[in-house]
Amino acid sequence: MSENNKEKKVTKKDILKVCWRYILTFQWSWNYERMQALGFAWSILPVLEKISDTKEELIANVKRHLQFFNVFPPAGGAIIGAAAAMEAEKETPGEAVDSLKVGLMGPFSGIGDTLYAVLTRPILGVLAASLAMAGNIFGFWIMVLFGIAWGIVIKYYLFWLGYRQGNNVIDQAADEEGEGLLDKITAAATVFGITVIGGFIPDILSGLTTPLTFEREIEVEGEMVSEVVEIQNVLDDILPYMIPIALVAICYYLIQKRDWSAVSVLILLFILGFAGSYLGLL
Amino acid sequence: MEDAQTLGFGIALILAIWAYLGIVLQLAPGVAWHEPIIAGTVTGLIIGNVEAGLYVGGALMLMSLGMHTYGGASMPDFQTGAIVGTAFTALPEVGPEAALTLAVPISILMIQLDVLARTINVVFIHGADKFVEKGQFKKMTLMHLLGQVPWGLSRAIPVFIAISLGQGPVQAFIDWSPEWLEQGMQTVGTILPVLGFALLLSMLPVKKYWPFLLIGYALLAYMEIPIIGIAIIAAAITPIYMRMKAGGANV
Repeated sequence: MSENNKEKKVTKKDILKVCWRYILTFQWSWNYERMQALGFAWSILPVLEKISDTKEELIANVKRHLQFFNVFPPAGGAIIGAAAAMEAEKETPGEAVDSLKVGLMGPFSGIGDTLYAVLTRPILGVLAASLAMAGNIFGFWIMVLFGIAWGIVIKYYLFWLGYRQGNNVIDQAADEEGEGLLDKITAAATVFGITVIGGFIPDILSGLTTPLTFEREIEVEGEMVSEVVEIQNVLDDILPYMIPIALVAICYYLIQKRDWSAVSVLILLFILGFAGSYLGLL
Repeated sequence: MEDAQTLGFGIALILAIWAYLGIVLQLAPGVAWHEPIIAGTVTGLIIGNVEAGLYVGGALMLMSLGMHTYGGASMPDFQTGAIVGTAFTALPEVGPEAALTLAVPISILMIQLDVLARTINVVFIHGADKFVEKGQFKKMTLMHLLGQVPWGLSRAIPVFIAISLGQGPVQAFIDWSPEWLEQGMQTVGTILPVLGFALLLSMLPVKKYWPFLLIGYALLAYMEIPIIGIAIIAAAITPIYMRMKAGGANV
C-alpha cells in the first residue's frame, strides 16, 4: 500500500547479495513441484525489492520468479546473473526475463551436465578413487578441490559473466544456425567425453567376467585327453569385454527405447548380479 | 575386542550431523560434498580410521561413475552408504570389504528417502506462495532456508539409527552372512557402474557421435592404452574434429 517515491537504484551490493544467495543456498528448497523456483526467487529478491515501486508490484515480480525452474546449478549462474542484470533495468518487461530463463535452462543444463558428468567427474573420480583405495589422502583432496571449483569458483565466474552480458547471453548462447558458442563447447566436450567413455566402459567394468568352464575331449597324439575350456577366454577372442558391453547396451536400450527409469534398471542389475553370482554365471 | 566397539551414542550423533551437512552442502554450494570419498574419509576421521573411509569411499565412487542426478532424478545414495559402511569398520572383524557389502544395499535402499525429501519439500514452496501473496517476504526467506531440513534429516536420521541401534544386528549379520550373500553383493558392486554408463550414454547424442565411442573402445580393448592416454588422444581428436567441422564447406 505504501507508495515509495524515492528513486532507488540497484547497487553493486544488491547484485553481490544475489550472487552469494545463489552460490550458498540455491538448491536448499529443491522440490518435485517447481524444483529450483524458490531458490531462484529468493536469490533475485534483493534486486526485485529495489526496482518495485509498490508492494503490489513487488509481489507480482516475485510471483513471476516462483515459476518452475531447473538447471544444472553451476551453469545456471549465467542465467541468474543475466536475469539480475535485466531486472535491474527497470524498463525491461518481465516477460523478457521469464522467456530468457525458460529458453536457457535447457541448453545450459545440457552443457553443464556434459562438462560435469561426462567430462570432469568420471575422469577425476577414477583418479581420486584409485588413490583413495590405495590409502592415499590425495584422493580425498582431489574431490574437495573439485567441489570448490564447480560449487564456488565456476558459479561465481559464470554469474558475473551472465551479469555483464545481460540480454546478450541469448545471442552468445545459441544463434539460429545452431553455431553459437555454447553449441561449439558442447560439441567439443561431447566428442572428448564420448571417446574417453568408450575406453572407460570396458576399463571400469573389466571385473565383469564369467567363471564358467566346460570340459571337452580332444585328441592329442592319438590319445583322447580332456581339456578344460574357460568360456571367458572364448568370449575375449570374439570380442574383448563382451559381457560389460552387452550389459551397458541392454540397459541403454531399456532407458532410451523402453523408457525404463534409472531405479528400474538398478533393480534389474541388482537381481542380475545376485542371480548371476549365485548360479555361478558371473 | 571390546576396544574396537567405539561407536557410542556420541559418534552416532556426530555422524548424523556430518550426513546432514554433507547433503545440504551438496545442494548448495555443491557439487561434490555428497561424494562417497568425501563422506567416507571424514567419517573415517571421526571414528579414527581414515584408511577405511578412503577405501570404502573410493570403492563406492567407482560404482557411481556416470551416475548424475539429471534433472533431479534419484540415484543410489552413496553418501549415506559410505558413512554407515565406514562407521561399521569399527566393529570387531568387520573389514573394509565386509563394510562394502553393507554399504551397497544401504545406498540403494536410501533412494526411498531421497524421494521422500524431494516430495516433502513441496510444502515449502506452497508456504512461500502463501507468504508472497501476503507480502511477507521474511517468511518467504524462511521457507527457502528451511528447505534444507527435510533434505538433511533424510540422511541424518537413517545414519543415526543405523549407527546407534545397528551395531548388534550388523555384527550378527556379518557373523552370519553366508558366502553366497557376500559374493552376490560383490558382484552387485561390480555390475552397478553399468547403470551409470547406460544413463550417461542415454544423455548423450550417441547416434551422432558413435564413431568416437568405438575409437575409445578400440584404444583400450585392442591397443591397451590406459585411460589417461585415451584422454590425451581424445584431447587431440577433439580440435581436429572441430576444425574439420568448421571448415567443412571449404574441403
